[in-house]
Order: sequence, then C-alpha cells, then structure tokens
Amino acid sequence: MEISQNTNTTDRKFALPVDSEHKSTEFRLFSIASPHMRAFHLSWISFFSCFVSTFAAPPLLPIIRDNLNLTATDIGNAGIAAVSGAVFARVAMGTACDLFGPRLASSSLILLTAPAVFLSLIANSPAAFLMVRFFTGFSLATFVSTQFWMSSMFSPNVVGTANGLSGGWGNLGGGATQLIMPLVYSLIHTNIGSTKFTAWRVAFFIPAFFQMLSAYAIFFLGQDMPDGNYVRLEKSGEKHKDSFSQVFYHAITNYRGWILALTYGYCFGVELTIDNIIAQYFYDRFNVNLHTAGIIAASFGLANLFSRPGGGILSDVVAKRFGMRGRLWTLWIVQMIGGLLCLLLGKIGSLSGSVAVMLVFSVFVQAACGLTFGVVPFISRRSLGVISGMTGGGGNVGAVLTQVIFFRGSRYSTEDGISLMGVMIMCCTLVILLIYFPQWGGLFCGPRKGVTEEDYYLSEWTTAEKEQGFHKMSLKFSENSRRERGKKGESVPLPSDKETPSTFV
Amino acid sequence: MEVPASFVVVSLLLSCFVGTSYGVYFSSLNKTLIVTATPKQGQVLKAGEDKITVTWRFNKTYPAGTDSSYKTIKIKLCYAPVSQKDRSWRKTVDLLKKDKTCPHKIVARPYAASNNTFTWTIERDIPSAVYFVRAFAVNAEDQQVAYGQTTDAHKSTNLFEVQAITGRHVSLDVASICFSAFSIVSLAGFFYMEKRKGKK
Repeated sequence: MEISQNTNTTDRKFALPVDSEHKSTEFRLFSIASPHMRAFHLSWISFFSCFVSTFAAPPLLPIIRDNLNLTATDIGNAGIAAVSGAVFARVAMGTACDLFGPRLASSSLILLTAPAVFLSLIANSPAAFLMVRFFTGFSLATFVSTQFWMSSMFSPNVVGTANGLSGGWGNLGGGATQLIMPLVYSLIHTNIGSTKFTAWRVAFFIPAFFQMLSAYAIFFLGQDMPDGNYVRLEKSGEKHKDSFSQVFYHAITNYRGWILALTYGYCFGVELTIDNIIAQYFYDRFNVNLHTAGIIAASFGLANLFSRPGGGILSDVVAKRFGMRGRLWTLWIVQMIGGLLCLLLGKIGSLSGSVAVMLVFSVFVQAACGLTFGVVPFISRRSLGVISGMTGGGGNVGAVLTQVIFFRGSRYSTEDGISLMGVMIMCCTLVILLIYFPQWGGLFCGPRKGVTEEDYYLSEWTTAEKEQGFHKMSLKFSENSRRERGKKGESVPLPSDKETPSTFV
Repeated sequence: MEVPASFVVVSLLLSCFVGTSYGVYFSSLNKTLIVTATPKQGQVLKAGEDKITVTWRFNKTYPAGTDSSYKTIKIKLCYAPVSQKDRSWRKTVDLLKKDKTCPHKIVARPYAASNNTFTWTIERDIPSAVYFVRAFAVNAEDQQVAYGQTTDAHKSTNLFEVQAITGRHVSLDVASICFSAFSIVSLAGFFYMEKRKGKK
C-alpha cells in the first residue's frame, strides 16, 4: 500500500511527513511544529483546563458545603448537573466543528464557559452552586473539538495515537485538579491568611484564568486544517462550506455512531461517575482520612497519563496487522475486562485490594476510551464532527445514567452500586458485535466482496454534489484509509474501473 | 495445634484493656455537668461578631467524689439534628472517636466544680446552622468521662442559630464580573476578526 507524499499540488512545506490530505503520518510528541503538533499541544492543554474547571469543586467540597449550607442531595445533584450539560453541548460542538472548524468552535466554547467559572466565586446558595457546575460542565464539549482536530491533522495510521493522547492528557485534568485546588486553597488560606470561606473562592480564579488563556492561545496560534483555516479555505474554494442539514442527516442515520455512543457511555461515562464518587467510597468504607481519599481519587484520573493514550496506540498497532477488525476486537475485549474489574471492585473488602483493583480497572476503562476513538474517525468523513459529538455526548449520558441509577439516594450501597455498574458495562458492550463496515468487516464477518472505501465514504454525497466536486476530501480520505484492511486485505480490488459507486448505509 | 491456656487468659485480659482504651461511648457517660449559654431559644447570632457566654458547674446532686477523675473541661459547639439531616459528615455516632456532632471547639479549661464562665466570639469559619453547646469532662488520659449540654436528651430545646459570613468581598465580586464580561467581549472580538479575514 502506497502513501502519497506531498509531491503533488501545493508548494507548502511541512515539518512532518504528510499524506495526500496533508495530514501528518508521524506523531512526534516533543515537537511544537505548526500546524500538526502545535494543534495537538493546544488541544490537549485547553481540554485539560476545562477538566480542571469542571472538577475544581469536588476536592474543596468540605469547605464549600459549609459555606453554602449544602446537603448531600444538593451535592449529588450538582455532580450530576456537572456532567449532564455536556450531553447536548458535545453534539452541538460536533456540528460546529463540521461547519466552522475546531479552532473557532473550541475557543468560542471555552470563552463562553469561562464566565461560569469566574461566577463560581460569588455563588451563595445551593441553587447557585448547581447552576455554576452545570454551565461549567458545558466546557467538557471541547473533547469533541479535540478529537475532531486530531482527526483532521493526523493520518489514519497515527490517528488513534493522536486522539488517545489528546483525550487522555485532557482527562488528566480531572485527577490533577484534586491535587491542584487543595494546594492553591491552602496557599491562600494559610500564607495569605484569608478565611476559609474566602480562600476557596479566590482559588477558583486559577482554573478560570487558565481556561481563558488557553482559548486565546487556540485562536491566535491554532489552525483548523493542515492547509489553513476554514474561512480562508472556503473563500479560495479549496473547501466547500457544507450544509448543516446534510451533515446532521448523514450522522444520525449511521447506526455505527449510535452503537459507539452507547458503548462510550460505559467506559468514559463510568470514568466520570467514578471521578465523582470514589473519594467518598474510600472515605466511608475504609475510614481513610479526607486527604488520603483525595489522593486515591486523583490517582484514578492520573492513570489517564498513559492508559487512554495506550488504548489509542494499541488501536493503531493492532490496525497495522488486522485493520479495522483488529480495532473492533481489541475494543470489545478491553471494555469487557473493564466491566469485569468494576464488578470485582465492589466485592473486595480490603483497602489495599480495592486500591489495586481500582488502578487496574482505571487502566482498562480508560484504554477502552482511547480504543473507541481509534474507530470513530472512520465511521463518517463528511459528518466526522457530529459523529464525534454523538459519541462524546453518549459518554456523558452514561455518566448521568449510572449516577442516577446506582449512586443516588440509598437504594444501593456504594459497593453494590459499583458491582452492578460493572454488570451493566458488560451487557452494554455486547452491541459492538453489531458493528459492520462493508469494506472491512465486523467482529465476526469479513468484508463484502468488491466493496471499496470509496463506496462507503462517497455514499454520503449525492450525485449533484459530486458533480460540483464537493466530495474531494472524502475521496482523499478513502485512499488514505485503505490501510484499515490490515495486512491480509492488500489483495482486495481497488476502485480503478468503477464510475458510479453504490450507496451504503 | 493446642493453644496454651495461659495464652488464652492473657489475650482475654489484653482484649479487655483494648476494649476500654479503644473508645468511649456517649451513652456510657453521665450528665453530671450543668451547662448554660447566653443565646436563647431561636436566637440568631452572627459569626465573627456576636458572643456566647458559657457557664458550667458540677451538679451537686451526684455523689461527692464522682468528679475526682475530671481533669479538664472541653466546651464544644454542636450541631442540632435539623442541621445534621442529609449531611452524613455531621453524623452522630455513639462511639465518640467517630462522632461528628461537635466539631467546633470553644474552649478547654482545667476542671473546677463551680464558678466557671467563658465568653467566646463566634469564629468566622463557623457555618450557618442550628447549634447547642456541650461540655465534656476528660480525665488525665484524655478520655471523656462525663458531659453536660444546654439542650435536652432529644436535642430539641434551647437551640440557637448562627449565621455565617458569606466569604464574599466586593472586590472579588467586581473582579469576577469584570473578567466574565471580558471573556464575552473578547469572543465577540474573535468573531469580528474572523469575518474580516473572510472578507479580505
């Protein structure tokens, strides 16, 4: 299989080797070369800041709950609110990326949610607390722009790695904040001498400023695609400004997007739920003190440093040999094991055993997230943004569902809730069996004879649109995704003689 | 394997000691102290400003010598049941080591049978809630041996309220609103700049 280097049209030179869409075929972590690696660093840092803001309140709750007179119900509801806002925001963000480009879409959202973090300082009641957590949580939609941006900048052979690292290092913010916020708070309370109820408020300036500055960085330093920003590309005609209804239609009618939306709810959604409940679980069941519980909670999120990227890298490595089928199998196996470990976590009665199982569980559940986004870039080319948004939104739906069913009120003890959540993970992961790509196959079936990547991706465009040449990007992408056939698929026919490709759903 | 009888006896004895030094239960204490505090039933006090004057003495109706082990008196501010509802971090537990009813210390004084009084300005980090005052008598091993409180056994009478400080300052309010507005304005600026690039 040949990758065409940038020998053809433009006189543009890139720091990294690129394919025919000018997406980088290599991933160099320590480079900040424009546009590819710079986009990577901008996206993970800004996503990290959004996670820090969204989960800034939990580690300071012992002080906030006294200041705002919160009950356990208020706290639980605010936790659910923090993750529910992003359900629709993620779908909206997907659409915005398709239409306006990830640079403008993400910097806009980050700047729109920064006021919610600033206004947390003046919250004075349980209702106000709920509102600020709800609106701050919208910023988690930057996940979608992160994945979209990486899928636009990196070629299929490294897209899993890029998505996994940017998503994982962003999620890291949820763990880092459990260490950052208490530290900032104690600096202000002890060293500057503010009272407790003032110190936590001042501490919130840190995530707020961090968020605001990352938005500026994206706007001024970032670029939508390797060849430039949407606005310029659309003007020069290199990129066609797509229609919202068509983009949306092709996303919601693709059943694979819905399947991954469901399963993502049971890896990422579970991760968010655990972020919200795990400190209290260790505090109550094993009687560790609040500091220790916070460190344990942080370590769950900090595993994202390597586990989610590991999932993405694994997806790419497996795809080299086994193509898309390998990606799907690995995802299914890893997420099933994650569910099993969750079931086990609730059953273990010793502290050290629980911490050990929790750490292994965190690796598997986060790797499953990385593996999911090794598959997402291939579901649709035209509606990549909305599909990413649906999957991401599904993740948050999973978080809301699991918290409402298992961790609200006193129907289940926390340990029973955790075990039952593990059972639900395993049941919902079974649907991956239903995913089938005609050109590559599914878990149990091979590809259909004679079907090519062009057939699949060009079926998203009508004949009239193709006549106007709007589908050029999908054409290039089809060529570059040929490697998803794996080593065995090299002898499968190429679309050299076909004129009118058939339509596939 | 046979366990020697002496081992069993020693371990039984040790477990008794462990039992007693393991923790004191509130239900095992006698209410031998009479405690009164200045706030009246339903009064609202402001944290950081208002004062509470606590007086306490030994209840002479108990036999003489009951207070021989009392070394120190610790006065605490305690949550009333209405402020503990749906807040498991303020839960009442009989084992005093785990009890979270009385987290706020008012004062600790060496024990004297009568004429004890203390005036306390309510500290600024006391949260808004309904409270009563309790005194614990502790012995030389720092274990609680008796108590007294301003309310009855059901913790329903003579409760008062504290209104906490908000922790907000005008400067903080202004700063947070200004920066929020700045974020929105700069966003509008971004859109304007993008539109201009598109027109060029």
